[in-house]
Amino acid sequence: MVTKILNLYRLATKRGRAALGAVLTVLALFLGIAAASAAVMPAPAPASAPLASAVAPAVAHASAADVKGKTFSVATDTTFAPFEFRNGSGDLVGIDMDLLRAIAANQGFKVDIKSLGFDAALQALQSNQVQGVIAGMSITDKRKLIFDFSDPYFDSGIQMAVAKSNNDVKTYSDLKGKSVAVKRGSEGETFANSIKAKYGFTVKALADSATMYDDVKAGNSVAVFDDYPVLAYGVSQNNGLKIVTPKERGSSYGFAVNKGQNADLLTAFDKGLANLKASGEYQKILDKYLAAPETAKQTSFFQLLANSFPALMKGLGMTLLATALSLVIALVLGIVFGFFKVGESRILRIIASIYVEIFRGTPLLVQAFFFYFGLPQLTGQPLNVLSAGVITLSLNAGAYMTEIVRGGIQSVDPGQLEASRSLGLGYVTSMRRVVVPQAIKIMTPSFINQFVITLKDTSLLAVIGFAELTYQGQQIYAANFRTGETLLIVAAIYFIVIFILTQLSNVLDRKFNK
Amino acid sequence: MSDATASGTTAKIRVRDLKKSFGSNEVLKGLDVDVAEGEVVCVIGPSGSGKSTFLRCLNKLEDITAGTVTVDGYDLTDPKVDLNAVRQHIGMVFQHFNLFPHMTALQNIMLAPVELKKLDKAAARAKGMELLKRVGLAEKADARPASLSGGQKQRVAIARALAMNPGIMLFDEATSALDPEMVGEVLQVIRDLAAEGMTMVVVTHEMGFAREVADRVIFMDAGVICEEGAPEAIFSHAEQPRLQDFLAKVL
Repeated sequence: MVTKILNLYRLATKRGRAALGAVLTVLALFLGIAAASAAVMPAPAPASAPLASAVAPAVAHASAADVKGKTFSVATDTTFAPFEFRNGSGDLVGIDMDLLRAIAANQGFKVDIKSLGFDAALQALQSNQVQGVIAGMSITDKRKLIFDFSDPYFDSGIQMAVAKSNNDVKTYSDLKGKSVAVKRGSEGETFANSIKAKYGFTVKALADSATMYDDVKAGNSVAVFDDYPVLAYGVSQNNGLKIVTPKERGSSYGFAVNKGQNADLLTAFDKGLANLKASGEYQKILDKYLAAPETAKQTSFFQLLANSFPALMKGLGMTLLATALSLVIALVLGIVFGFFKVGESRILRIIASIYVEIFRGTPLLVQAFFFYFGLPQLTGQPLNVLSAGVITLSLNAGAYMTEIVRGGIQSVDPGQLEASRSLGLGYVTSMRRVVVPQAIKIMTPSFINQFVITLKDTSLLAVIGFAELTYQGQQIYAANFRTGETLLIVAAIYFIVIFILTQLSNVLDRKFNK
Repeated sequence: MSDATASGTTAKIRVRDLKKSFGSNEVLKGLDVDVAEGEVVCVIGPSGSGKSTFLRCLNKLEDITAGTVTVDGYDLTDPKVDLNAVRQHIGMVFQHFNLFPHMTALQNIMLAPVELKKLDKAAARAKGMELLKRVGLAEKADARPASLSGGQKQRVAIARALAMNPGIMLFDEATSALDPEMVGEVLQVIRDLAAEGMTMVVVTHEMGFAREVADRVIFMDAGVICEEGAPEAIFSHAEQPRLQDFLAKVL
């Protein structure tokens, strides 16, 4: 492989114009792999679907036949129990999930549910990555400007909860000078902001319910404002809080699609909802989660470990898959751009430098958001989360690999190349037989290091809803509120896997790089 | 000077008005040199005089800024000339040996003949062993460079440079990095090569050796050739004050 790349390199340096060709080859290569990896994930709904429905007249009597047999991608929150959360075996359950599935079955369409997080779900909808969002989302005038909502399917309301041991805060007046945790973009945040001046407290917006509860238990905030079913469910799951105020009249939850698009899906949802209400199935679903949520017994740590293990192993599998794919592509990128950097062509050196500077000079998290949300908006081509994740990690790790390759080659005594060239061996042969074997030896520890970093960096992909190990951990503590213990298990799994893999790499290093 | 071929032999190496600059620093300021077939030319001079740069221009390890270098009739400054092919005819020995540390002594020698498809593996191995025998290191065939002494390394490096049967050998201060007791064994190998009629350009600090082996000695200083001639003339009848100074310091 090295020879091929070297040949490619020489071709490129020999003819200036071939520089572009080389870059395109690299690009084609990694797009090819990305496409191949796309096959691993459930295929996104055809891009034509939203287009087709956008032109369809949005009339009220659109029959359910319009959606029959179709599959719709619907995004949801990760951690909004009892509306959406993962049960012990890692399956998405909750009022929203059961309702959506029941409506889909009633109306004869299929749903591909993507558990992204609340903010990410809205972004995914706006970038047409999904056709709908169901995430315990309140119907507000502001949101109506960009989304079309279904008939309300749930009437919510805000309550305040404090730590179980806290007997000082009972009313809003007791909050003076204190901090209150709310969920970013939620009804609770709106409510808190509307009364904070009156009662003199500060509002701290966090990403999900579990984090809010932890913030209170850790003493950073004294209270949370959250939707009453969510709070009630959390308390039943031993989240360590108690509810202290009566329910504030709140808004209603609705299913959303992009404004002016997917009218048939919305119609089908409303029809299905009406059918379920009529048949009593709707009430059954609500009762399952709200009427008498049986109080969970506080299980032992080992019980938690046993319960969460299957889901975590699923996550670990995705972590390793993303790591392996990314490292292979990053290695190719690193070798190509690394040779560009040590080569004689100024153009290729500049191209490689720009590449490295961009991906080393921006945060991985921003890159992940860009490839998952930004790029599809620019190209109109939806990208599945594994592809987006692998592209992000490959390009990021590739930049560091480029520097490792450059450093490795440059740290080989220049006299080695001179001696080889003086024998009449060409540049490519000299690199392949003399310089690269010595460089590989120098580079190996850095490669192992980068490999560990990339493996850990996969955890950042949790933010775009890639179901790897950290994400699975978040899902678990979102449902059971045992954040500390769950994260401990997740950390231990990372540690064990990385420890085993580094030991293995070191053994191989010693064996082959004597 | 341009008529150095008057003796009837063709010049193996012909250098005309060779100039070499590193950035704005001109290291070689116009050299004219001819080396005849079978001739041994020693280049002496103080550090920084341009001796090594001159030598490295002879197989174009350095880009040539101006002038021409013709080796075996090939003009190295002509972009159409296949440098790799020309270099196969020019062996080079470096001050720091530059042996390939990940290969054995024998593999170092076999690399070029095998990669350049000049010999098959078996023939290259036989040739490599013959060369190792010639430099007295047959028993070190399977040793890695790291386990060899300086003198042994340089003898392997000479054997490696001879593997492609070059018509010309270039020595770049081949003994400068050696402990004194190892200088002799390396010089002996070079001496043997000279006796066999190899065309050689030897950059050296070993004045006694230059005097003994050279057909001609070139004294360089500050990028120009100050004086050249038979060893006897250079070492015993130096004309230029700069050469006299230099000899006074090193002898």
